[in-house]
Amino acid sequence: MSPVIETNHLSFRYSKQPVLQDVSFAVQAGDYVGIIGPNGGGKTTLLKLILGLEKGQGEIRLFGEDLAQFSQWKKIGYLAQKSPVSQSRFPISVEEVVLMGLCYDGAHKEATTENLQAVHRALTKTHTADLAKHIFSNLSIGQQQRVLLARALVSEPQLLILDEPSAALDAGSREQFFTLLGELNQKQGVTILLITHDTGEVGKYISKFMYIDGELVFFGDKESFCHSAKVAEKLGSFAQHTIDYLHNHGHCPLGCHCESVVTHSTEKK
Amino acid sequence: MLGEFLSYSFVQRGLLAGSLVAIICALLGVFLVLKRLSLIGDGLSHVCLTGVALGLLTQTSPLYMSLPVVLGASWGILHIMDKVKIYGDAAIGIVSAAGLALGILLTALAGGFNADLFGFLFGSILTVGKTEVVCCAGLLAALIVFFGFYYRDLLAASFDEAFARTRGIAVKRLNTVLILFTAVAVVLAFKVVGIFLISALIILPPVSALLLAKTFKQVLWVACLLAVVSVWLGIYLSFICNIPSGATIILINLVFFILAACIRYLGRVARIG
Repeated sequence: MSPVIETNHLSFRYSKQPVLQDVSFAVQAGDYVGIIGPNGGGKTTLLKLILGLEKGQGEIRLFGEDLAQFSQWKKIGYLAQKSPVSQSRFPISVEEVVLMGLCYDGAHKEATTENLQAVHRALTKTHTADLAKHIFSNLSIGQQQRVLLARALVSEPQLLILDEPSAALDAGSREQFFTLLGELNQKQGVTILLITHDTGEVGKYISKFMYIDGELVFFGDKESFCHSAKVAEKLGSFAQHTIDYLHNHGHCPLGCHCESVVTHSTEKK
Repeated sequence: MLGEFLSYSFVQRGLLAGSLVAIICALLGVFLVLKRLSLIGDGLSHVCLTGVALGLLTQTSPLYMSLPVVLGASWGILHIMDKVKIYGDAAIGIVSAAGLALGILLTALAGGFNADLFGFLFGSILTVGKTEVVCCAGLLAALIVFFGFYYRDLLAASFDEAFARTRGIAVKRLNTVLILFTAVAVVLAFKVVGIFLISALIILPPVSALLLAKTFKQVLWVACLLAVVSVWLGIYLSFICNIPSGATIILINLVFFILAACIRYLGRVARIG
């Protein structure tokens, strides 16, 4: 079976400044990948390249098909970091926003009963069904983000690509949000690619980590991540967070009961 | 008075052409305002001066001469935005300044400003001919067909361009078609309100409608309604008060905008109270 996402020697530069260099990896169906790395390390750029929003060098294949030929956008749900209309008044209801998620391949665009049922199912999943008739731009940023997640889910995608989606959510909503993603991954087999700085909260659901810092520093499962000397070398601040977490909770924040990061980090010091 | 006003054939033609142009500008304006490209009308209208001056210099129809010039300029704006990778407002500014400078230069070569040129600069709706009316009707029909086919795609692309692209919507192609429609609309509109005031007809009715309407479809309807009423009222007032029609139409739109802002403010106060 073809990987859901496959990149080969992917590189990207803004003007002459390299942002990503020689990134190759394969995400398999059912993976829940947490992408971490420093600000400006190229995480968002990587997602944009995968979605065809930026053009770089190298090969990208989605569901076994070259990105240039790929047309099955129904299979992909995308949620950006920022709401598109947080500052402006765009007179559109929550229902219509979610309906946009059904715009693909020139089909299923109108507000038919069937489509509206799909919209309400998606809104229910993100606990925003009561907001269906509200004007989107009148909602709080956190509510907008939950509605946009419903838009990403409405086409029942096989792959979810999320760019720091929890940044604007309060603690309660964040927990609901990550629980929902965990359920989608574990019960429905949805593959998830998620940029996050919140390794503590989301760590228990994630199956693989990807560390990006201008290049692919690490890609593999949680346990290997915690045992990686290269990661420990790069992750000074994360290691400190892990030490604090271990002190307070007695186990690794990623839920894999390891202390290797701490060891590597302390050895380094 | 009103009966006499409506009995003149040039008034009837002016009202018809004015209404068609008003609807075209309002429909395009809603999408341009929401996509933050509304100043494109301003930029392209300045380029119109080059076309008009070329027409006066070569003694050909300024309308026919302006069309290729403005279409070329709209392609230039798109090309600068896409290939040179600069922001849309800067691209519009470059093309607008170049169009205005070239227009002034050609005007000087054509013997300076004369009555004809003033008509194009500030509008002379009552000199609109049958050809312009037919062209306006054709453009509106084409625009309605385009919106009919691509309404949802346009809505998605105006709301969130990045997400629209991840749905496989050809956002770049939609933007190009929208800007080409705007270029043709600007050329057809310069007799109605004048080169310097076209952008106001593209911006003011949609902005007023965005303040008043609650749904996107309502915005389209209200923008068209405000634009048409402003054209009719403007032409009537200019006829009875003997004042320039283009400027009157725009000032009426400004009054509508102020009223819309007041209604919205009062509505918000009432809700809070």
